Amino acid sequence: MEAAAVDAVVDGLKKSGVDFISLMPDSDFSILQERVANDKHFTYVPVSNEAIGVGVCAGAWLSGKRPALLVPTSGLLVAAWPLTSLCMAWSLPLLLLIPYRGDIGDAFWLMGPYKDTTEPLLKVLNAPYSVIAKTEEISKAIIDAQGSTISWQRPVAVLLTGETIK
Amino acid sequence: MKRYECLKLLASMLGPEVIVVTNIGPISREWNALRPSDANLLQINLGLCAAVGMGVAVSLPKRQVVLLDGDGNLLLNLASLADLANQNLKNLVHIVLDNESYEGGGGLRSATAGRADLAAIARGAGVQNANVVRTVEQFDGAARQSLANPGHHFIVAKVEQGSVEKLPALTLDGKEAKYRFARYIESSEGVQILRPRYTHI
Repeated sequence: MEAAAVDAVVDGLKKSGVDFISLMPDSDFSILQERVANDKHFTYVPVSNEAIGVGVCAGAWLSGKRPALLVPTSGLLVAAWPLTSLCMAWSLPLLLLIPYRGDIGDAFWLMGPYKDTTEPLLKVLNAPYSVIAKTEEISKAIIDAQGSTISWQRPVAVLLTGETIK
Repeated sequence: MKRYECLKLLASMLGPEVIVVTNIGPISREWNALRPSDANLLQINLGLCAAVGMGVAVSLPKRQVVLLDGDGNLLLNLASLADLANQNLKNLVHIVLDNESYEGGGGLRSATAGRADLAAIARGAGVQNANVVRTVEQFDGAARQSLANPGHHFIVAKVEQGSVEKLPALTLDGKEAKYRFARYIESSEGVQILRPRYTHI
């Protein structure tokens, strides 16, 4: 991720009121992870798998925080069960920020299957999403997603693709 | 040692402000009977009791948080122990009611009926105060000591399978539990959680 995209993500998170971030360490978000880990604005909870991250964010939201979960593309599949057993069953909000590996233009063969899983899975999980390919659109997309997840009480995702994760 | 006896003792030790997060299944029904309160977050599904409790304890560092976990629940996401340990919490008492089985799911044996030792795993994950208790007296002592001292405490209580007769039905679903717990936190912490917005565009 380039510095401008990282700046835009942090700007969107702060403007949308996010004050709690959980994440599974991931190469696509590594610079962003360092930024939020060292930014005192955010309570930072790294986790060892994405399912734990969903649980942590659920507990944080119920306790008055405004969480966001940074999920590696493949990790959305790991998170699927708690997104069902907590977010769907309890009607809980959650802002999901996901690098969209495997989108058209991603030449790494190993990421190909995620073109087949990512968007259909979000639809099945009743989690609306935006696909953002321009750095200039990141901040507003995050603000909009956070407003929607709070209002609708269900997860809303921002998928970052194209230049935003280069 | 019977789980209900342990929980009855624990209920007598807790003030009304202590937040309790519980495993789904018999633990939730017993705890709801012993200590009905909107400060309870009941029926957390398999693999997630420690995770949800972590989110609560990290977010409310001035509140004491008790987790009533199950062996099956914790075994599904053992990495929660490592993630919890790394938070250096001062407000957490994590109790595993270890009946060595999936009682809520029919009673089949869990890994702790074999060689798995959750206290040893917790110590290996970085939880310094991790102990096993096998009698009600030991549970009483460990619980009192943990509640009286700030830190991250982990107690494995080896209990028998089986509950008690005539527990009141737990009629709460997740949606109602969400509103009740969130409203309780709003009033006790002076924060706004439930905040419908009419527009943000």
